Amino acid sequence: MARINMGEFEELVLLIVAILNDNAYGISVMEEIEAQTNRKINISAVHSALDRLESKGFLGSHVGGATKERGGRRKRYFTINTAGQEALNFIREQRNKLHDQIPNLGLEYVSI
Amino acid sequence: MSPYDQEPPQWAIRFLRFYCKPRALEIIEGDAYELFYKRIDNEGIEAARKKFSWDVLRFFRLRYIKGLEDINSLNNIAMIKNYIKISFRSLLKQRFYSLINIGGLAIGLAACLLIVMYISNELSYDKFHADSERIYRIGVWTPARLAIQSKLDIPEIEETTRIQGPYSQTFNIDGRVFKEPLGFNADSTFHNIFSVEFIEGNPDESLKEPNSVILTQTLATKFFGYESAVGRVIKAGGDIVKVTGVVADPPKNSHFGYRFINSYPNETWVTVGNWTGNNFFTYAKFTKGSDPEEVENKMTDFAAKYVGPELVKFTGHANYEEYLAEGGRARGFSVRAMTDLHLYYPSLSLRSGGSIDNVYIFSAVALFILVIACINFMNLSTARSAMRSKEVGMRKVLGSLKGQLINQFLVESMMVSVLSMILAIGLASLTLNGFNSLANRTFDYQDLFGGSVMLQLFGLVLFVGLLAGSYPAFVLSSFKPIKALKGEVQKGGKGSAFLRQGLVAFQFAISIFLIISTVVVFKQLNFLTDQKLGFDAEQVLIVKNADVLEDKAEVFKTNLSQIPSIENMAMSRDFISERVSDWSYETVEENSRNHSFINMFATDDFLNTMGLNLIEGRNFTNTLVSDTATVLINEAAKKWLGWDEVLGRKISRGDGEDYTIVGVVNDFNFTSLKNKIEPMVIRVMGEDGRVESDWYAGNYVYLRVNGNFRETVSTVESLWKSIITDEPFEYAYLDEAFAALYDEEERFGKLFTTSSGLAIIIACLGLFALAAFTLERRFKEIAVRKVLGASISSITLMILKGFTILVGAGALIAIPVGYIVMGDWLQDFAYQISLNNPLIWILPALMVATIAWLTVGFLSAKTAMANPIKALRSE
Repeated sequence: MARINMGEFEELVLLIVAILNDNAYGISVMEEIEAQTNRKINISAVHSALDRLESKGFLGSHVGGATKERGGRRKRYFTINTAGQEALNFIREQRNKLHDQIPNLGLEYVSI
Repeated sequence: MSPYDQEPPQWAIRFLRFYCKPRALEIIEGDAYELFYKRIDNEGIEAARKKFSWDVLRFFRLRYIKGLEDINSLNNIAMIKNYIKISFRSLLKQRFYSLINIGGLAIGLAACLLIVMYISNELSYDKFHADSERIYRIGVWTPARLAIQSKLDIPEIEETTRIQGPYSQTFNIDGRVFKEPLGFNADSTFHNIFSVEFIEGNPDESLKEPNSVILTQTLATKFFGYESAVGRVIKAGGDIVKVTGVVADPPKNSHFGYRFINSYPNETWVTVGNWTGNNFFTYAKFTKGSDPEEVENKMTDFAAKYVGPELVKFTGHANYEEYLAEGGRARGFSVRAMTDLHLYYPSLSLRSGGSIDNVYIFSAVALFILVIACINFMNLSTARSAMRSKEVGMRKVLGSLKGQLINQFLVESMMVSVLSMILAIGLASLTLNGFNSLANRTFDYQDLFGGSVMLQLFGLVLFVGLLAGSYPAFVLSSFKPIKALKGEVQKGGKGSAFLRQGLVAFQFAISIFLIISTVVVFKQLNFLTDQKLGFDAEQVLIVKNADVLEDKAEVFKTNLSQIPSIENMAMSRDFISERVSDWSYETVEENSRNHSFINMFATDDFLNTMGLNLIEGRNFTNTLVSDTATVLINEAAKKWLGWDEVLGRKISRGDGEDYTIVGVVNDFNFTSLKNKIEPMVIRVMGEDGRVESDWYAGNYVYLRVNGNFRETVSTVESLWKSIITDEPFEYAYLDEAFAALYDEEERFGKLFTTSSGLAIIIACLGLFALAAFTLERRFKEIAVRKVLGASISSITLMILKGFTILVGAGALIAIPVGYIVMGDWLQDFAYQISLNNPLIWILPALMVATIAWLTVGFLSAKTAMANPIKALRSE
């Protein structure tokens, strides 16, 4: 697979969208990230990450769910598509491959 | 209360709706609201509102900001993009015409840009002073006490100050000698009236003490380098003075530019003075909302109260009322807004050298050049319209409305004018120095690229684009599509061709008018310089500042007489060519008459030194004691006196001071030839530079030089330096001093030369393009004529005839206008050239005709000589 053009934060957002499955929209993604990683992030950052991922073809989206909590405004739900899943898998495999090659640093380090 | 009744900050939501892309707006707004409601519960309303605003600000990213495509209708933007694309293509397709269009317009705009800068600078004079609209100049030359007394008596006057100057002064800083111009005396209230930025020193105290001086930053740096100047004690004009302040250089647009300001001495002529000696310039700041006219009216009573009683002491009337009743001139003080001084009262402004006439003339010139460039633009666009008739027809068939076509052509003309603007800015900055010498100003790039000038230029460009583009736009857009597509030639009607020719004739008219002006100005200048001044100015050298010699004058003169190249020398109080003061004399006869004579003091050698002729009588002699009360008069004075025999008659200054006329000298011009030679009296001055009652008046030494001028100057200079240490040697050549009187006229001549040159260049560019175009259209016609037997010369003449008629029509407009305008200009001169010389009028017309012939003739001959087959075969 060709090089995957994805930043660290984008990868995080993509993972969260995958986790949230049916209920991934701006605020739920933001809250999930805050809950899982303890990172304080601004909603605008989440939005632009989601938009970037969509334009890169890792996410699909549909509009719906106008509720009272949003003053009757609709939200944009994001769902991960096959390309997105493949990308996540690819990144994970690559990481694992690299992790496996790390020599056992800890022991040798102590022996100094 | 439910959180859903709360509202986030309105400005934030409005801002979001303003910038956000419509596509993303609902989602973003929704998320922001959802967070807002959640935060009300968790963190309270205040924090929620703050965070809502913060979120909105954070969403202000390129990704979410509206693009061009989101503004208004997408269609308009697309159309404008299309217009611009088409404009570029048509400009590139017709490179030759575009170049002439843009080039001509750029020259016109560059001229306009410089002149706009000049005019806005002229209009800005003195506006930088705080409350400038409340500052007025009282009177012209005013008595010492006017300032103080009027402030006490007239409630509208809030503050006053007096100044005197400008003069030059010699400074001696630890042995280094500087002669500095632009010095003033001023009262300590100076800074209350005029805005002065103090860099060092206390504004309120700096001019209070006598022998204090304020230096401008430039001068302080020149004198002391970067050391602090305040507190330094220097020698200035023979006095020991203390520097009490350093101020920023006054802005260039001030009606009096100063380099240093001296405080007034504590002497009676300053503190008390009298009401009849007028030595001061008085400025006043009025209270808010006061009416200057009312103050001027009050000044009449004021003058009657204070000036009147003192005046009648001299006139011998019982009181001021009687003086007025006997026809005496009523006294008063004029009130003039300071901001008007520079342009409207140049005689009141202290050498700022402005005049509203110059502003008008420059504006007219700018307008002329711009009009010529615009005419080119219009002519070329309409002339070319036929070529674009198919395009217009096609567009109409495909559904273009007339309005859209007009828009398209307007965009095209805008583009040409904006391109010209860019070129014009480059041209203007290249020619800035030349312009400075024409306008006698010192503009720099900062002035040129200042915001307001650029803004005005941009406005002008829009205006020109619309003006020049609107006519072609309307002509082109009104084509009938069916005819255009059938290939029928649409001339745009007879009217359009007529208008085109009318405009060309108008261009010629402007060019001819400008050339006529140039010719008249230069003829008049030559006439003035060729005039006999009545004396021989060419070999006269004048040593200035001879008043510092005083007792050393004798030594200086003895030494001078040993220099072989000096033929004659004389001393005088006055520097002719500059203003010589007038003194009032009355005739000694039964009904004595009174007149202000130009009054000179000179030694007896003055006549020989200047090359003046004695017409009757004899010269006075310095050494003869009996000659102390004798005078020479000029012919004009003799004429005014009207006596058959003037020798031996007397004139008087009153108080028994009578002077006997012993000789009459020929009339000579002692000032600009704008003025007639006035009656003049030459009084005798002692050999040592003193006149009666031991008053030293030897300000200037006149030397007649026979031999090498430069060597003589350096010899005199070294002699001067050996005698005088604290005053630099300054000299002038008399003929140059006289030539300098016509600097203003010389500049006028240059202005007209430049502008007529530009006008002709632009007009010819247009003419060339128009001729090229016409010939292209008539290519076939000419070919047919040739086939039928016309000769090359007859064809060329036929084409030239058409353009010659236009030049003739232009001349018909230009000559009467020129006659009136230049006749008016000549009114300023006492000695004028005659305008009835036919050469002045025919020559410019011929010149323009010749240039037009050359421009067109080349092209016509080329077309006429072409092989007719080339034109006819394409059928």
